[in-house]
Amino acid sequence: MRSTIPLIITFFVGLFMVGEFFIPHWRYRIWTAELLEWGLILAAGAYMLGLANLIQVNLPKVMKKERDWGYKAVMLVSLVVTLFIGFHDGQHRHDDGAAYKWVFEFVFTPLNATMFALLAFYIASAAFRAFRARNVEATVLLVAACVVMLARVPMGEAIPVIGDYLPRFMNWIMDVPNIAARRAIFIGAALGAVATGLRVILGLERSHLGAD
Amino acid sequence: MKLFDALERFQNMDRRWIFLGMGLSILIPLLVTADCEFKVDERVQALYDTVEALPAGTTVFLSADFDPASRPELEPFFRANLDHLFRKDIKIISATLWEFAPPIVVPILHEIAAAHGKEYGVDYAFLGYKPGKELAIKAIGENIPKTFPVDYQGTPVEDLPVMQGFKQAKDFPLIVNVSAGFPGTREYVLQIQGQHNLTIISSCTAVSGPDYIPFYKAGQLAGLAAGMPGSAQYEKLVWADSEPPPGTRKLATQAINVLNMGHAFIIALILMGNIAYFLTKPRGGDDD
Repeated sequence: MRSTIPLIITFFVGLFMVGEFFIPHWRYRIWTAELLEWGLILAAGAYMLGLANLIQVNLPKVMKKERDWGYKAVMLVSLVVTLFIGFHDGQHRHDDGAAYKWVFEFVFTPLNATMFALLAFYIASAAFRAFRARNVEATVLLVAACVVMLARVPMGEAIPVIGDYLPRFMNWIMDVPNIAARRAIFIGAALGAVATGLRVILGLERSHLGAD
Repeated sequence: MKLFDALERFQNMDRRWIFLGMGLSILIPLLVTADCEFKVDERVQALYDTVEALPAGTTVFLSADFDPASRPELEPFFRANLDHLFRKDIKIISATLWEFAPPIVVPILHEIAAAHGKEYGVDYAFLGYKPGKELAIKAIGENIPKTFPVDYQGTPVEDLPVMQGFKQAKDFPLIVNVSAGFPGTREYVLQIQGQHNLTIISSCTAVSGPDYIPFYKAGQLAGLAAGMPGSAQYEKLVWADSEPPPGTRKLATQAINVLNMGHAFIIALILMGNIAYFLTKPRGGDDD
C-alpha cells in the first residue's frame, strides 16, 4: 500500500499533465495551473527538507568531532547566522545597510566569484597538458578549439590575411558541426526523457519512491 | 641534449607557472587599457534588432537568472539591455529563478531606472525570486500573478500599474532571459517557448553559448549574446551613437582585452606544448 497509492497518484497526475498538450482548452488548463501551483509549493517545501537534512547529516559529525568536523561546524554556524539575519531583516534585507546585504556582498559574492574565477587557471593548465595532437581526432579537436578561441576575441580579427576568414570559419564550426552534434544529443536526451517519463507514469521506474 | 631536457621539463612544468602566467594575462590588461575594434556577430545583431523593433510603451518580461559567479559576464549585458529598453520607453517586468540574483538585480534595476526617470510600479517592477525551476517557468507561462502574488517588497502584483493586462508569458511581445545556466534559456525554450509561440532573446555565459545556438538557428530564440564578447558587441550597438548613463561603464568592452590576453596565453601554451611534444617524441616523449 505504501507504494501503490503514490504509483496511482503518479499515474493520474502524469497523464493529466501530458494531456495539457493535447487538449488546449482553458477549463483543462485551470486544473493544470492548479497542479503547477502545488508543484511550486512542494519545491519550496524541499528547501525545508534540505535544511533539515543538512543539519541531520552534519551536526552529529561535529558533535563526535569526526574527520573535517571543523569545516562542517563553520558551515552550520554560517547557516544559522545567515538564516537568522535573513529573517531579522525580512522585506528590508536588500536595503543599504542591512546585515543580510552585507553578508551577501562581502562574504558570499567574493567566495562565489572566486570559485568560478579559479576555472580560468585550471582550464589553462588542463589545456596545456591535454591538448596534444596525438592522433587525427585530437588534432581536429585542437585546431577547432584554437580557431574558436582566437576568433571569439578581437585579437583574432586583427591578424593580417586570415583575420577576415577566422570569424567565418568559427561561425561554420558553431553553426554546422556544433549544431549537428548538439541536436543529436538533444534528440537523444529528449527520447530518453520521454521513455523515463513513461516508465515513471506506468510505475515501471520506482526509484523516486525510494525503491530500486 | 640540453634542448631535449629543457623541452621535457617544459612539458612537465609545475602548474603554478601556468597559474602565474594566466594571472598576469588577466592583470595586465586590467591595468593597461587599450581600445580594440571588433565586429558584431549575426546573433547579437538579431537580438538588438528584436529590441529595436518594439514600439514605445510596450512591456517586456525580463528573467534575470544569474548569480555573483556569472555576474562579470552577464551584468554588462543586463545593464546595456535595461538602458536600451528604458530609453525606448519600454516597460519592464522582471523576476528571477535564481535565489542569489535579487541582491544583484534590484540595485541595478533601480539605478538605471532612476537614470531614465522611471517610476517603480508604473514603468518597471521586480517580482522577486521563485523556486521550482522548470515548474516556475511553466507557471510563468500560465499565470504570473498566481506565481508571483507579491513583488519583492511585498506589494500585491495586481496592485502594480505596470502589471495591468499582463497575466501570462504570451501577453508579452518579448521575453528577455539573462541566463547563467540551469534554470535558464534552455528551460524557457523547452517549457514554454514552443507551446505559447513566444519571442525570446537570451544573454548567456560563454560556456552555454554553443548549447543555445541550435535554438537560435531553429527560430526558437530571436537573438543570442554569448559571454563577454556577446555583451561587448551588444554594448557597441546600444551605445553606438550615445554614451552610457552616468555611473554606467561599458564593462564588457573594457574587459574584452582581458579575454584577448587570456585566450592568447592559452593558445600560446597549447602551441608550445605541441612543439615540445613533437620535438621530444622520437626520443621517447609522451606518445600514449
